[in-house]
Amino acid sequence: MGQWQTMIQTDSISKTYSTHLFEKKIPALNDISLHVNKGEVFGIIGPNGAGKSTLIKILLGFIQSDSGSVTINGLAPSDTRSRSNIGYLPESPCLYPQLTLIDHLRFSSRVTGDPFDKSWCKNLLDKVDLAHVSRKPLAKYSKGMVQRAALAYALFHNPDILILDEPMSGLDPVGRHLVVQLIKEYHQKGHTILFCSHILSDVENICDKVGLMNHGSLVKMLTPDAVSPGQQPPEQYSIPLERQFFETLAEQEQHTP
Amino acid sequence: MKSILAVALLSYKEGIRQKLLYSTVLFAILMCFGAVLVSGLFLRDISKIILDFCLTAVNIGGLLVPFFLAIHLLSRDIERKSIVTILAQPLARHSYIIGKFLGISYLTATVMAILTVTTFISVWMGIALYGEKFFTSFALLPVLSSILLSWLGILVLNAMVVLWCTVTTSSFLATLLTFFTYIIGHSIDDVVRFLSIENSKMIIALPVRKVIEFCQYIFPNLSAFDFKNQAAHGLSIPASEFLFVTVYAIAYICIILSLAILFFRKRDIA
Repeated sequence: MGQWQTMIQTDSISKTYSTHLFEKKIPALNDISLHVNKGEVFGIIGPNGAGKSTLIKILLGFIQSDSGSVTINGLAPSDTRSRSNIGYLPESPCLYPQLTLIDHLRFSSRVTGDPFDKSWCKNLLDKVDLAHVSRKPLAKYSKGMVQRAALAYALFHNPDILILDEPMSGLDPVGRHLVVQLIKEYHQKGHTILFCSHILSDVENICDKVGLMNHGSLVKMLTPDAVSPGQQPPEQYSIPLERQFFETLAEQEQHTP
Repeated sequence: MKSILAVALLSYKEGIRQKLLYSTVLFAILMCFGAVLVSGLFLRDISKIILDFCLTAVNIGGLLVPFFLAIHLLSRDIERKSIVTILAQPLARHSYIIGKFLGISYLTATVMAILTVTTFISVWMGIALYGEKFFTSFALLPVLSSILLSWLGILVLNAMVVLWCTVTTSSFLATLLTFFTYIIGHSIDDVVRFLSIENSKMIIALPVRKVIEFCQYIFPNLSAFDFKNQAAHGLSIPASEFLFVTVYAIAYICIILSLAILFFRKRDIA
C-alpha cells in the first residue's frame, strides 16, 4: 500500500496512567503499532481494560502518549485540522441534554465552517430515524436514541475517518440493524472506519481487519488472508472470531509469568 | 474565531435553558419589586433605598451565574465528558476555554440586563407611588455605570471560575475555590488598608502579613468594582476611575484566561 493511503498510523505508542500523585503508574498501552488504510474497516477487540479506549483517546488528541508517534491522515492529533477528517462516536455519548439534536448539528457546521446543509441534515436524520424528534431536547430521548443522535453528530460533517467506540451499546435490535447498515453504507463510499466493540459478531460482520488487544498490547492481527484463505470480508471468517478471540487470550495467559 | 463563537453560542444556549436561571431571575425580580414596597416604610431616601435594593439584586443575579451556572457548565462538562462532544470537532483547546468564558459572560449580561430593566421599572413604580420629590437625586448614568462595572467584576470572577475548573477535577472544589476568591477579592482591600494604618495597635505576625500581601497581588480586587453606593446617591463615577477599573478587569481576565489555557492544554481528557 502506498504511504498516501494510510489514514491512521501509530508507531510504538505507549501510555501509563497514575490515578494518584504518589501511586505507581499503571501501563495502559504498550508499544502499539498499527496502520489503517483508506477505505478499510479496522476492528479492535479485547477484554475490558485492554486499552482500546485509551488508544482512541490518543488518536483524537484527548490524551498524549508517553512515547511513539501518531498520525491521522498525515497530521498529528494535536493539530486541530486532523479532527476535521474524523467523526467520533464515544462509548457513552454525552451530548448536552438541554439542547436539541439540531443545535448540536448546527454547532458542528459552525465549527467546521461549512454552511448548514438542510437537505443533508434531513437525509442523515431520516437515516438514524430521528427526524421527528430533532427539535426536542436530548433529555427527552431514550438511551438508544441518544446513541443514534451521537452517530448523526459524528457523521454530520461527512468525515473521511469514522472512529466508533462501542457504537451498538444501548441499542435495541432495530437500532443495531440501522447502525450496521449506516456503517456499511459509509464503508461502501470508501471512508475509513475504526471500530471498537465487544460484540464479536458485529466485528466479524463489518470489519476487514481485526486487531486483538490485551493488557495494553496489540497481541494479534487477524487479517482475512491469514484467517480464512480464499474468503473475503465482510463474509464470515472461516474460523469464528469468537473462537480465535478466546484461543488467543488463553494462549497469552499461558505465556504470562 | 468562528469556533470560539460556536462554543460561546452553545454554552449560552445550554445555560439559558437551565431552570436554575429562571428561578434566579424570578427571585431578583421579586427583590426589586419588594424594594418599592419596603422603601415606603421609610418616608425618606426612597430613591436611595429602591436603588440600593435593586442594584444589590442585579449584583446577586449576576453572581449566581459564576457560582452555579458557570461551574455547572464547565466542571460538569469535564466530569460528564460532554467536553468530548466539543473537542472531537476540529477545535483547539484555547477556543474551548475562550468560547466557554464568552458564553458565560453573555449569560451574565443577559441576567443583568433583565434585572436592569426591572430596576428601572421599580424606580418608575416608586415615582408613581410616592411622587417625584423623593427621586430628585436619581441619575441614570451613575446607575448604568455602576451596573456595567459590576458586570465587569463578575466577568473577572467568571475568568477565575474557568481557571479553577481547568485545574481541578471536581465541581465541588471549583465552587469552593470560587467562593474563597470572592471572599478574598471583596475583603483584601480593606484588610490591606487596615494593616497599613500606622497607629494600629494590632500586632500581626510577619508571615501572616506576607501572606496577605501575597493575596493582594494574586487575587482580584473585586471591591474595586462596587459603585452601588455612589449610584444610589446619584453621584457620578469619575471617568478616570471608570477607565482604570475597566482596564484592570480586561488585563486581569486576559492573564487568568491565558493561565487557564496553559493548564488546559496539558490536561488529559480521560
